[in-house]
Amino acid sequence: MEFLKRFPNLIVIVLLILVLIAGIAMNLRMRHLRESEAYYRWLIAAAVSERLFQDQEEGDQDGVLFSGSVAAARESGIFFDYLDGDSDSEDISLLGRVAKDYQQDWRIWSFARSSYAAEQRQQFLLLAKERKLRFAQDIQYAEAQAGDVNIFNLFFGFRKVAANLVWLEVDRYWHQGNMYRMITLMRTCVALDPHFVEAYIIGSWHLAYNATASMPDTPWPRRDWDPRYQVCLGEKERFYYYAIDFLKDGIRRNPRNYRIYFDLGFALYKQKLEDYANAVKYLAEAIALPHDRWVPRQLFLCQELNGQYEEALQGWKDYMERYPGSMTAVEVAPRFILRNQGLIYEKRAEEFRIQAKQMTDATVSKKFRKQAEENYMLARGIWNELSDPFGEGRKMRMEALDMREEGRYLEALAVLDKARWDTAALWQEFSDLIIEIKKEAGISLSVSEKKAVMRDSEVGICPGMPKEEQERRLHTIEDIKAGL
Amino acid sequence: MSTAISTQNLTKIYEGALRGQDVHALNELSLDVEEGEIFGYLGPNGSGKTTTIKMLLGLIFPTQGTIKIFGNSAISSAAVKKNIGYLPEGAYYPDFLRGEEILSYYGKLYGLRGSDLKKRIDATMDMVGMQHARKRLLRGYSKGMRQRIGLAQALISDPKLLILDEPTTGLDPIARKEIRDILLRLREEGKTLLISSHELLEVELMSNRVGILYNGTLQTIGSVDELLVKREMTVSVDGIDDGIASELSSRGITVEDRTGGRATLRIGSTLSIYDAIELCKSKSLELNSVAPRRETLEELFVRVIGAAEADRR
Amino acid sequence: MNAISSFFRGPYYIALYTYREGIRRKMLIGFLVLSLLVIFGSSFISSFLDPSAETDIDLKLIKDICVAAISIFGVLITVYISASVVPNEIENKVIYTVLSKPVGRMQYLLGKFMGAQLIIIVNLLLMGGLFFMALYLRQGIMPTLLLWSILLTYFEFLIVSAFTFAISCAATTSLVPIMGGLFVYITGNLTEYLKDVENRASQTTEWLDMIIGKVATGLYAVLPNLQNFSLKTQIVNGQPNDPLLDVFIPSLLLYGSIYGLAGFLCAYVIFWRKEV
Repeated sequence: MEFLKRFPNLIVIVLLILVLIAGIAMNLRMRHLRESEAYYRWLIAAAVSERLFQDQEEGDQDGVLFSGSVAAARESGIFFDYLDGDSDSEDISLLGRVAKDYQQDWRIWSFARSSYAAEQRQQFLLLAKERKLRFAQDIQYAEAQAGDVNIFNLFFGFRKVAANLVWLEVDRYWHQGNMYRMITLMRTCVALDPHFVEAYIIGSWHLAYNATASMPDTPWPRRDWDPRYQVCLGEKERFYYYAIDFLKDGIRRNPRNYRIYFDLGFALYKQKLEDYANAVKYLAEAIALPHDRWVPRQLFLCQELNGQYEEALQGWKDYMERYPGSMTAVEVAPRFILRNQGLIYEKRAEEFRIQAKQMTDATVSKKFRKQAEENYMLARGIWNELSDPFGEGRKMRMEALDMREEGRYLEALAVLDKARWDTAALWQEFSDLIIEIKKEAGISLSVSEKKAVMRDSEVGICPGMPKEEQERRLHTIEDIKAGL
Repeated sequence: MSTAISTQNLTKIYEGALRGQDVHALNELSLDVEEGEIFGYLGPNGSGKTTTIKMLLGLIFPTQGTIKIFGNSAISSAAVKKNIGYLPEGAYYPDFLRGEEILSYYGKLYGLRGSDLKKRIDATMDMVGMQHARKRLLRGYSKGMRQRIGLAQALISDPKLLILDEPTTGLDPIARKEIRDILLRLREEGKTLLISSHELLEVELMSNRVGILYNGTLQTIGSVDELLVKREMTVSVDGIDDGIASELSSRGITVEDRTGGRATLRIGSTLSIYDAIELCKSKSLELNSVAPRRETLEELFVRVIGAAEADRR
Repeated sequence: MNAISSFFRGPYYIALYTYREGIRRKMLIGFLVLSLLVIFGSSFISSFLDPSAETDIDLKLIKDICVAAISIFGVLITVYISASVVPNEIENKVIYTVLSKPVGRMQYLLGKFMGAQLIIIVNLLLMGGLFFMALYLRQGIMPTLLLWSILLTYFEFLIVSAFTFAISCAATTSLVPIMGGLFVYITGNLTEYLKDVENRASQTTEWLDMIIGKVATGLYAVLPNLQNFSLKTQIVNGQPNDPLLDVFIPSLLLYGSIYGLAGFLCAYVIFWRKEV
């Protein structure tokens, strides 16, 4: 009787126990999910870093763990279609290749949480706790996993607010012009909130643009050699590289945010360093991710500047198909399509000319010459169609080249000199061509041209430079001098 | 007549932190309340009245003993509770509701719905005389009106048994009278009422039976007529003077309320009424009236409690 | 079917009553007004920033501050309401009138709990709604991720609420359960620490340390871990590398429901023989 009386409540107690067991199961599941997530984030960061930066640091164990993970991934069979062409000759590992396409992230995720990765995941957590992993140090979840009783844990997830408040302080220092404090504080800010993408972008912009705006150029003898980037850094340049490092940090923590790639490619490599190869590299990453429609344009411009006319042309065409009717597609793209088309014809014509020169057989040589002529015609047609300063400049360049062919060097130089004043965008190219023609014709260079030939970036010597590099540069100077 | 409430050896001990600190709130209470009566449950503060009532309602649980309500010992079941209306002492009723909203809320808890509920609210409002204020917010109610609404919520399901804890405490005489009238009317309708109170006059005026509780033990129980024995007679006389008064006193007659020649004589148990009248006649006193004197509940109460107190010592 | 619907009718009315009564609390309204002020005020915080930086940084500021404000004030409201619905009725003796009606204790608790949830949800919706509007006006697009964030926030509160409610069932005044509720929230956020204890204990061979390690493991498995819900602060900013929501959100909802149920059942176990 007594038992029956309590029966309904017994059910409740049994239910409570069942629910608690379910709670334990859920707790373990959440633990597994979050640990997997930390590992997954790290995997993507490591994979992207491997592909883009290749800058392993002493003491970090990311590389070892990553190759272990790659081996486990290979065995898991999850990435079966990436196994073909998996050979040692390639520098990029299986996961590196998978991570190239963000749409495959779910497969990395399913690998990260699978039992195939159990051992590596365990090792990852251990290393993350000991803070021996470079990419995992500031990943919020990994830090929570590490479980240190640090000040951050007391924020109860309000770290983002703290980061924002720190950012207001960064802003204040910026108004005070206190650059060095700003940098320290920016680092605090992104340590608090590693996903504060705006902080990376605005921070790097402050560093590369606002901070350097009032800085004078540093003369070469006073620059310092930077072993990491293999360049001599003056004050300005140092800030450029601060900005680059800052953005790269941002990429490691937010490998799937196109905006950081874009800023790295456009604002730094293109605008500040004029390193178009790197600009193309990062802008290409940006457009491989979901992006806004103003992003591709910069990639195509950089490809053009980098001499990748075919890619630029194809890019513009794709863009027109993707965004028909957009302002860029209607007003900008057609002009650039023509431009790149023209540049391709020009390039081909020059290649044929060179080939024709090299040929000893007169008929073959003639054939090449004819093909060169045809391409020139096509190019000229395009420049006519374009009918803008750029097209006019290109036409004058072609004229000058024709003159050069015929040995009318002085006329060619005169045409180019006029053309470069007319079309600012082509100034550098034409100046280089002038020097080239002068050298070919045996005309002595002006003082400024001589200086231009001795490019600081190639022959400049600064303190701290390693011996071999210094000697290499001295040799280059001698070579150039001999050439004159 | 069947039994509405029946308890057997009902005991409640509140356990203290230490063995010696246990509080015996109620000791082996065996109580029967018949259907259709008003039972006055009396006792000073802290004697265990509210403890008993809470146990009857399943709000607290007996340490020992059994309770049957209408013969059913499953007192927490809905079937039993449907038949009980309860008015707690000093309960609060939400200010932000209108009178009828409160009744509607409690009515719904009884499972009333739709037109049944409406009818019951109407009837109850009539019963407690609150028709005029049913649409007003409780914020504007007087204390008496609140108590009447409290009574109404106890009555909303038309229960057979009403348990009222201090229904008239803190009310003015007119409100008390009104409440008392309502309760008497309920008895006429055949309801059983258990009224806990220390307002003795009220209880005396209403109850059929009373039980006096002191210190957790039921000291006495019985019908009002039985308990309040007519032990003494009083004789009202004229023409008394000091000499007669002292003589009467020596014969065991108490002289009270002397004003001039008029006095009331209380005849003690040592003297028969006839002898007393003889005595008055011999003293040439003029008789105004002869009447039995009934003990008040208050006197009974004081007597019972006093005896219990003395026992305890 | 009929039995079920009649079982839930009582709780339904009690919940409605609890809601109507609770929503009028001055303290609650105070918290709500404060939180709305913070949410509203966050829109002006961008005036501190350098206007030359043309980015969405102020949007991020608004989002982060609002999520934090909703968390803080939401927890205060949750704890306050969950801690006081039952003790409050005990204090003003309304509970006597209700429990003496044909209402079981389970029904009563269910009604009270649901009423508290209703209040929490309405408050959360008010705060979330203003936040939503602030974002919509600023951004011009529907901030759908915010809805997920608010949903997750609610399920986090559900756990806090259920355990606070359980504590309140053991108490007669609301002060102790309010402290208890805050304690639940703080402990719930610090359970990650137990993993650290477990980790350190595993590095020694001292038997006492090992026992402590085992206890930590056990506690970590049983105690609800509110840090699991930190996803809610993560997703409002909608980063492309956010964790995969389709796995995490259902898990977290289930997680919140299970611990909510556990807390409620604890409340019942405490309450079913409680002497009121």
